[in-house]
Amino acid sequence: MTEATVGVGIGADQLDTTDMVLNIGPQHPSTHGVLRLRLVLDGERIITAEPIIGYMHRGAEKLFEVRDYRQILVLANRHDWLSAFANELGVVLAVERMLGMEVPERAVWARTLLAELNRVLSHLMFLGSYPLELGAITPIFHAFRDREEIQAVMEEISGGRMHFMFNRVGGLKEDLPAGWLGRARAAVAGVRGRVPVLRDLVHGNEIFRARTKGVGVLSRETVHAYGVSGPIARASGVDFDLRRDEPYLAYGELTDVLRVVTREEGDCLARFSCLIDQVEVSLDLADACLDRLETLPPGPINLRLPKVLKAPEGHTYAWTENPLGVNGYYLVSRGEKTPWRLKLRSASFNNVQVLSELLPGTLVADMVAILGSMFFVVGDIDK
Amino acid sequence: MSRIPGAGLAKGLAVTLKTMTKRSVTQGYPEVLPELPPRSRGVIALFEENCTVCMLCARECPDWCIYIDSHKEVVPAKEPGARDRTRNVLDRFAIDFALCMYCGICVEVCPFDALFWSPEFEYATDDIQALTHEKDTLREWMWTVPAPPPLDERAEEPKELAMARRNAAKLAKELEQEQPQGREPNGPASPGGDA
Repeated sequence: MTEATVGVGIGADQLDTTDMVLNIGPQHPSTHGVLRLRLVLDGERIITAEPIIGYMHRGAEKLFEVRDYRQILVLANRHDWLSAFANELGVVLAVERMLGMEVPERAVWARTLLAELNRVLSHLMFLGSYPLELGAITPIFHAFRDREEIQAVMEEISGGRMHFMFNRVGGLKEDLPAGWLGRARAAVAGVRGRVPVLRDLVHGNEIFRARTKGVGVLSRETVHAYGVSGPIARASGVDFDLRRDEPYLAYGELTDVLRVVTREEGDCLARFSCLIDQVEVSLDLADACLDRLETLPPGPINLRLPKVLKAPEGHTYAWTENPLGVNGYYLVSRGEKTPWRLKLRSASFNNVQVLSELLPGTLVADMVAILGSMFFVVGDIDK
Repeated sequence: MSRIPGAGLAKGLAVTLKTMTKRSVTQGYPEVLPELPPRSRGVIALFEENCTVCMLCARECPDWCIYIDSHKEVVPAKEPGARDRTRNVLDRFAIDFALCMYCGICVEVCPFDALFWSPEFEYATDDIQALTHEKDTLREWMWTVPAPPPLDERAEEPKELAMARRNAAKLAKELEQEQPQGREPNGPASPGGDA
């Protein structure tokens, strides 16, 4: 940093402006959590941006190593607190694969359904909070009203509103309550009916479009270089979705319903519209799962487990398409009841790193628009 | 998107106007209590009479927030010549809800049905120490535990039901075999009934 002394009779070399360092966060409303951005500014323009992470590091991976597989679920579902169900799913899929366990069909379909409902919950949160960050207050009330409807069915089945804790190795914790399928269907229909509201309210709004169109364009190369995934990557034209490209659960049988939403522009608006479209796809998938669950023959929803569950020696990598992107668990077991190592690859970590490429050259006023459109959860960054 | 400038804004305002005419969906919480589903994980209640101090819940808890103290008591032998028995007596059972992660593992592992989830949630305080609730409070919460919801028609029968049905069938079979030897036709239980 150069120090300028302004005095009488300054020379031309003294008239240069100096760069200013601006800290955004760790307690900034637009960082929903404790993400800190260290910006170097030249006037209003950002020269360099560095996301400084780790304020919420909880050492989840280390804690996994001293917990058995049921206890791991408790911790694993909360790094990305908006998609608890999807987080649990990766762990149980990894352990089931290690054990060579065949999960009952009803459990597979119910898991797929709940994973999609969870995706809708997570997406609606960002569809509501992103306009809020840009100064539009109304959409979040609509988004929360829709969320509440799905939240109610999730709460009825699992007993939790955020940390569902409903997956178990070998299936689900409990069977569906009577009449739940009908209520879930009504919730899905209700939310589907109100998706156009969000479109009318936000997506078509001229002010919103002016602030997001052409802002923060993320190129396909950068997506690949930084390992960005999920709706953000798809908004830049990267046609990659694990649900289609490496089907897990029942997605292999849902190929006719599953539509991978992509956009070419790669700007904030494209990311937002990807999210809205994905909500609709998820609702379609949820309906398909409900149809299937209503026709499946009666059967169990979980398997009886041994008292002490030990994964055999070996390793596996289970990745799933979480609402925010690719979420992977690398499980190494030495035959103990705890994993020897459980590496967590979370989507937000990679998605946020790309900010150091995306922000330089933009104005401070656009920073919030870009930051908000990266759809991250700080717990998912810091783990 | 649109030709006429401001059409998008007008559309948004139309949504707002339409919403204005509809009833609000919010609930005035302290006056209107939420209707929570029976599975809601609000608080953990202890059915003290069922607890045998096996310590499974305390051991399985991922963050060790259950505190149990007990002592052994000698139950004198009932008949002469029999051995005296010892029995565990629960002195303290406390759950620190400041630490609890509400995962429900303790409820799940309890082999004697002593722990239950209750949807009760109004126990917030401004003192973190006051969140450690002792066994008498936990026992009180037992009164708020709802019956579990009936399961989906395609669900597997709960193992308790299946076991009761099996036992009833067994009894009925025994009864049938005994009947030729001069037993009254109306036996103790309706065999094979809805156990």
